[in-house]
Amino acid sequence: MKLMHTKLPDFIKKMYVAASKEYPQKTMKLKGLENLRSAKLQSLRTGRIENAVAELAHREDIEHIEVDVLPRIPETMHTVVVKGQDRNGTTKKVILEVINILHPTEETEFDGCDDIEDRRPPLGLH
Amino acid sequence: MKYKVIPEGTIDGKIMPVTVAFLDVKEIEKSGMTQDEAIIEVGKKEEGPTAINIFDPNAVTTTSDGILAEGAIVRMGASDKGRVNKEFGILPMYHMPYSEELIKKETHMIQWKKLYPDRSLYRGPDPADKKIPVHNVVISGRASNNNSATEMMNIVTMDEVLFPILGQLECLHHGDLLVGYTGETVSVGIGMTIAEKFGRVFPHPQFYAGQTAHGSGAYAKTLKQWIPIIACDKKVIAKLTIRAIECGCVPARDIGCSPVVLSIARAMGTEIDYDNISDKAQEELDSVGCTKEWMHETQHLSKEEVIDNADEILPGIYDGKKHKADELLIEKTI
Repeated sequence: MKLMHTKLPDFIKKMYVAASKEYPQKTMKLKGLENLRSAKLQSLRTGRIENAVAELAHREDIEHIEVDVLPRIPETMHTVVVKGQDRNGTTKKVILEVINILHPTEETEFDGCDDIEDRRPPLGLH
Repeated sequence: MKYKVIPEGTIDGKIMPVTVAFLDVKEIEKSGMTQDEAIIEVGKKEEGPTAINIFDPNAVTTTSDGILAEGAIVRMGASDKGRVNKEFGILPMYHMPYSEELIKKETHMIQWKKLYPDRSLYRGPDPADKKIPVHNVVISGRASNNNSATEMMNIVTMDEVLFPILGQLECLHHGDLLVGYTGETVSVGIGMTIAEKFGRVFPHPQFYAGQTAHGSGAYAKTLKQWIPIIACDKKVIAKLTIRAIECGCVPARDIGCSPVVLSIARAMGTEIDYDNISDKAQEELDSVGCTKEWMHETQHLSKEEVIDNADEILPGIYDGKKHKADELLIEKTI
């Protein structure tokens, strides 16, 4: 069971390794996880993304790989924890609120490229 | 297929964050395309961020404060970089069958019964058709077409325009538009909704006449204050609101208690259900000067006087300038 989900730092490291282990001169950038402090990422998909990164790294015409992590559903719902703390830093009151955030969809990241292979399962079949 | 657009750019220095395209169901029918195909083709032609709205001029709809209007959006789309997102880029509005039971529950719909019982009604989408959980929105790339196609955004530049349904319908009717900044009063009024099944903003009855969807006190007036708006000429909203009142709708009981609705009832001296205005709604109304005392200062003007003087009587919109809709619209053909 411990392999079912990947630690966030491990996920990030795996992507950079997948890009550079055979081609150390090739570069990679991972975007979209900057705001996460601690998280577990689905291992099955981690392997498939590593595979996709390595596949592109193999190509002679590719020198740089970018991995952009976007919300799969372009509206995400977040709990907002509003805390009031006293002078000692003790939390005295908590108010929970909610906020929905709209995000751009993947078309913003295509850079005009037409060769797009969608390997995502359809919604509802994940 | 002919369609019209208001292009992305600026109007009087106010930012239009996306192109807004107006399609007609009959033009689409004539072309032999399906409505989805028409949205995809317009997306290809426009290339940049675009909100694509398909209208049935013979259907009816309601504003968020419950006023019936002729013409309705039947399907909305969003496109960007020539593409329509295959999962989130198109959403149909629900075709509401005529129902006495609905009219009994949603008392503002007496307008439908009295004025156009034979016309199709479209408001928001059926939640069962939605893939985005909360908002009635379609998104493709940077383009977001929200609140059942009345609030458009570029999510990358984060610019937004409010394009209330009555403003959009004036584009169909060759009418006049008022382009400005939303301002405090309309920012408050947007929250004074009525409860509808499959409504424009909320999928299920949630905030009833006399209540506020905002519930944010004095902050409500700041929420949309500096966002550009393309609204109908105030004469149009005055006419339609007076018609709703003449159908028996009472502000804060059957239709919303927005400052515009209250101003019209106040000017004519018609009934307002003062006691049904919630404390939260009243706090927001107070913040823009619509106090209980103000509501009681009735003028007993005729409906013609209210319509003729709508620009002075109806509050809202800052730095507004009137335009002929036809002068802002560009006709295109696919």
